[in-house]
Amino acid sequence: MSSTRTNQEWLHDLNASGALQEAAIADLRDLLLRAALYFFSRNLGDFRGLSREEITQRAEDCAQDALLAVLKHLPDFRGDSKFSTWAYKFAINIAMMAARRERWKGVSLDELASSDESSFFEWMMQDKSDGVAPERFAMQGEIRGIIQDVIRNDLTDKQRRVLSLMIFNEVPMDEVVRHLGANRNAIYKMLHDARRKIKSSLQARGFEVGEMLSLFGASG
Amino acid sequence: MKSDRFERWLQNIHHTRDEEISCSECFDSVSHFVEVEVSGEDPAIKLPQVRQHLDQCPACREEYETLRDLRRLEEEDGIPSADDLQDLIP
Repeated sequence: MSSTRTNQEWLHDLNASGALQEAAIADLRDLLLRAALYFFSRNLGDFRGLSREEITQRAEDCAQDALLAVLKHLPDFRGDSKFSTWAYKFAINIAMMAARRERWKGVSLDELASSDESSFFEWMMQDKSDGVAPERFAMQGEIRGIIQDVIRNDLTDKQRRVLSLMIFNEVPMDEVVRHLGANRNAIYKMLHDARRKIKSSLQARGFEVGEMLSLFGASG
Repeated sequence: MKSDRFERWLQNIHHTRDEEISCSECFDSVSHFVEVEVSGEDPAIKLPQVRQHLDQCPACREEYETLRDLRRLEEEDGIPSADDLQDLIP
């Protein structure tokens, strides 16, 4: 049984040959299928309109892709977790990409990426304006202005597009990755650079971020 | 609500560090992070950079939360069979 193998036994059996290896691969594939189905069962909203058979088939495809990924990365396993925990993450990663692709198919990300961030800020300020003291409202406006300045003047076109998609339109990262033909690391770095620039611009204008959070009602 | 989203983003700006690990580095360590957590220790003490990345990156955070819950399920009742999981799909 797969669940009774130790880490060493997993590595030994998967690196063996013949029936021993075949059994280990079959057990591993079953674990990965269960991880993919588990992710899908938590995210059924991504699969509206699909039948159980179609969803199951997608989980089978994910398990197969995850199996190949696990076998490819087997030498990287450091033994700092259970082998199954290490393997599950490949299935979850692949299942998440598949689920988000299904949910966002047919949505024009080009259109979303080109939307002006000012509409987001206007809406946000309107949403927060009720019952806010005028002085506080004015400071919120000043912060909004600084952030907008940074977005307009200090970010690259690509950073602005990523920000527009992920922050203003809540497009999942993997869809942005697919849309831009990039990878998660590159997208994360763009967001990180944008955050750093905004943070330092706010600090340069005398706004400590803790103060800024309380102005908008968030706690640090 | 958009204001909630904006506040979350402000929190992210607030907690921004000059050096942050990448999604790949987070992926490499997330199974260790989960294992530490399931053992009852605080993984944020042992792997603070992973914790910081998970707080900033919604994609990695969702993967981590799923992995953590799956690992806990495995520890407690065992992960349901593929057939049982398929039955959860309407």
